[in-house]
Amino acid sequence: MPKAEMPPGALTMLVLRVLRSGPLHGYAIAQRIHSLSSDVLGVEEGSLYPALQKILLKGWVTAEWGISETNRKVRFYSLTPAGERQLETELSDYERVTAAIRSVLRTA
Amino acid sequence: MAELFRRLRYLLSRGRFDRELRDDLEFHREMAAREGRNTLGNTLRLREEAREAWGWMWLDRCSQDLRYALRVLRRSPGFTAAAILMLAIGIGVNVAAFSCFNFLVLRPLPVRDPASLLRFHRHSPQAYAFALPYPELSFFREHSRTLPVILALNSARLPVEGEQQPLNAAFVSTNFFQDLGASPLLGRLLDPARDDAASAEPVLVLGYGFWQRHFGADPLVVGRLIRLNGKPVTIIGVAQREFSGLSINRSDFWAPVHQQPYFAPGSRLLTDFSVDSSGVQMFARLQPGLPRSAAEAELRLLAAELRKTHSADIWENETLVGEPAGYADSIRVGNRRGTGSEDRDDLYPVAALVGALCLLILTVACGNLGSLLLARGVAREREIAIRVSVGAGRGRLLRQLFTESLLLSVFGAAAGLALGYAVMRGLLALRDAPDWLDPAPDWRVALFALGTGILAALLFGLTPALQIARQRHRTTFLRQILVAAQVAASCVLLIVAGLLVRALQDATATNPGFEYHQVVSVDPGLAAHGYTPARARAWLDTMQARLRALPGVESVSLTDTAPLGNHVTSARVEVEGRRADILISRIDPEFFRTLKIPLLRGRNLTRGDTHAVVAGQSMAQRLWPGENPLGKEFDIDGGKSIVVGIAGSARLVRPEDPDMVEVYAPPAESDLPSMGLLVRTEAPPDDLARAAISLARSTDPTLFPAVQLLRNSFRRKLRTAESTALVVGILGLAAQLLACFGILGVVAYAVSQRVREIGIRLALGARPLQVMSVVLRQFFWPVAAGLTAGLGGAAALSKLLRKGLYGVSNLDPEAYLAAVVFFALTVLLAVLFPAKRALKIDPARTLRQN
Repeated sequence: MPKAEMPPGALTMLVLRVLRSGPLHGYAIAQRIHSLSSDVLGVEEGSLYPALQKILLKGWVTAEWGISETNRKVRFYSLTPAGERQLETELSDYERVTAAIRSVLRTA
Repeated sequence: MAELFRRLRYLLSRGRFDRELRDDLEFHREMAAREGRNTLGNTLRLREEAREAWGWMWLDRCSQDLRYALRVLRRSPGFTAAAILMLAIGIGVNVAAFSCFNFLVLRPLPVRDPASLLRFHRHSPQAYAFALPYPELSFFREHSRTLPVILALNSARLPVEGEQQPLNAAFVSTNFFQDLGASPLLGRLLDPARDDAASAEPVLVLGYGFWQRHFGADPLVVGRLIRLNGKPVTIIGVAQREFSGLSINRSDFWAPVHQQPYFAPGSRLLTDFSVDSSGVQMFARLQPGLPRSAAEAELRLLAAELRKTHSADIWENETLVGEPAGYADSIRVGNRRGTGSEDRDDLYPVAALVGALCLLILTVACGNLGSLLLARGVAREREIAIRVSVGAGRGRLLRQLFTESLLLSVFGAAAGLALGYAVMRGLLALRDAPDWLDPAPDWRVALFALGTGILAALLFGLTPALQIARQRHRTTFLRQILVAAQVAASCVLLIVAGLLVRALQDATATNPGFEYHQVVSVDPGLAAHGYTPARARAWLDTMQARLRALPGVESVSLTDTAPLGNHVTSARVEVEGRRADILISRIDPEFFRTLKIPLLRGRNLTRGDTHAVVAGQSMAQRLWPGENPLGKEFDIDGGKSIVVGIAGSARLVRPEDPDMVEVYAPPAESDLPSMGLLVRTEAPPDDLARAAISLARSTDPTLFPAVQLLRNSFRRKLRTAESTALVVGILGLAAQLLACFGILGVVAYAVSQRVREIGIRLALGARPLQVMSVVLRQFFWPVAAGLTAGLGGAAALSKLLRKGLYGVSNLDPEAYLAAVVFFALTVLLAVLFPAKRALKIDPARTLRQN
């Protein structure tokens, strides 16, 4: 099944959402998004890492060293309280917009 | 805010974050490979894209550009050195000029709280004076509520034991040091608590320079006794080197003003209300929170109050004008007074002139560098082409090229700063500047140098960079503009220099209207020593008789205005709508003989004349053109004057100013204490000067007369004009040299570009002259246009020069012609040099190349 294009801006929200359930390393974030979307959404490293850097800079996540399942020292990203708040607002915004779009699609 | 800090953290430990990012990506690869997926893609590029999020990429690119520019400049050291040298000259002269301006106007004096310091001058509709009679200042100090602190400063020259020349003494109020926040280097400074009492012993504070020179920086100098004008006085301390003493001249020592009569017996400085008294400069601090106008209003009321008891000396409607005193500009003038409106020697016309000339130099330097860069751009075609083909965008190329220019100009600014500093040091040493003037550049000067550098980079770097980045090779037009600009700028400089030199020649070579070589002036300062008119008359008569008895003395006369001195009595006279600023000298009849001023018509003054005056010829021509001036009447300060004689024009006080006209009047009885003597001798005037001093002191030992050879005064008067002409001359030559190199380079480049063509033409039998005219034709128009613009610019500038400086006639054909001829010759030389080389081209060799 071909991977679908990610709508712009959605990646940040997805990364934040995926991290809500616990710290993950970069590859796992991509994997999680991929599998949770039933293999529809693919995350290229080309877009994941710039997005992660942006999120780090905003202070929504922090990075800490940990050990991967392959016994390698990697960085794990975890959500900060500020990230939590950001996710809330993004989710509610998203809900509102999609609801609006849906209602337009239904009635128009 | 927090985000900004995180960004900064990324900037500071970029290495670590970059390693972490690389690690992340590597891990991602590993994991992907394990799962059998091969993600292709450029890791480097990926990392760069991720790093973009940090927002510091521009910095990386800048540092790349900078490193590359450094490499490029290092690879061609000849070009780099030439460019930096040119910029150093262009920026250096600007830095030096700005430093001077900075000293005078921008940098506060090294005193406590310079911003709140004011200086007060006396003004009335009829007269002005920079100094106040001391008792007037005392009155203000007692009664003013708006000025909590008032400082007094009286400068004088006093003989000191063991010194040939009298030294600069400053008599100051005892709060002077304390209020200016000065601390002693040794001992103590004046202290109101200890030195104010009338019974306090005479004390002295040494200036740093005097302490160094006279006492060999002896650390045990405090407590020693020294004789000033023969009076013993105790040294209590030494001032810091940085202490300015609110004087632009070097102060050798300070003493309390109330002890001045002790050093100058008979002096009535402390009690004399008349404007003839040497007076004191008044500095004050305003009550915080009050506007300056409040103090001025209060002082006006106080002056009016004082006028009730001293109606002769306090002027009607006298105002005291306060000006900020925290800058060197405001203490330039020590003591000057005059009647009529004050003639301000405004700094700004001079500053504007010098600034304009310096900018012109910078323009020439930039024009030069611009053409050099253009020529280099063509030589770098290959490099640029390669960079374009590997994907450099035009913007990036432009930035790269401009970075090179910017780097050059930063180096140039640094070199210019050093050059400017060297020039300032030289200037200050030459002018015997006071110790507190520090030539080291401060932040303002450094900032100025950097700003000039960036401006220069914009001027010389941007257009060539645009041209090169566009890979346009048709740069001929631009080059022509650059040549024209250079020609115009250096032409202006040359002409202005020529005009100044001519004006100076005029002033030195032509007769100022009187013969000064063998004349000595003696100013005994009778008024300052409390002489009454009767005593003054007696003293002057005795002196005249004794001087006449000296061998070689031809003539002795009296005047209140020493020729070429600092004291001016001027007035504005209006007759039937024609106006003239006249200089009034009070003289005795012998005066014209002493100075050899011819009496052209009418009669001389005689003793007992009251309203009769002798007018200078130039005044007669100004006020009564085409009429017989004898018997004409006019008013000076409300007094009627009748012209009885016409004397030859003489520029007595300002030899360089042809607009000043003069009138001679007999002295009133009250003028006598302010009169001095003029002595003409056949013997060497130096001997006469010595004899005059000892004569004067033997008649009254308390006097210390100021004796001057008019010859020296004349030279001193011309020094400003001389140094200005010298500076402008040097600037003009520097610009000329720069322009010549620039034109030489451009022509050489044009020749080298057309070597093949020249070779072919020569091979086909063209005459050398024809070939050269083809190559050089492109420079004809720019040079012609530049010359025209330069002539126009010079005419405009010299108008300013005439207003602000000297009697430069702004259309002196000789100066223009000389400048243009000189210019044409140097340009011709600059052109012929590369042209000759071109004609030696061997056609066969050039054709074989390529």
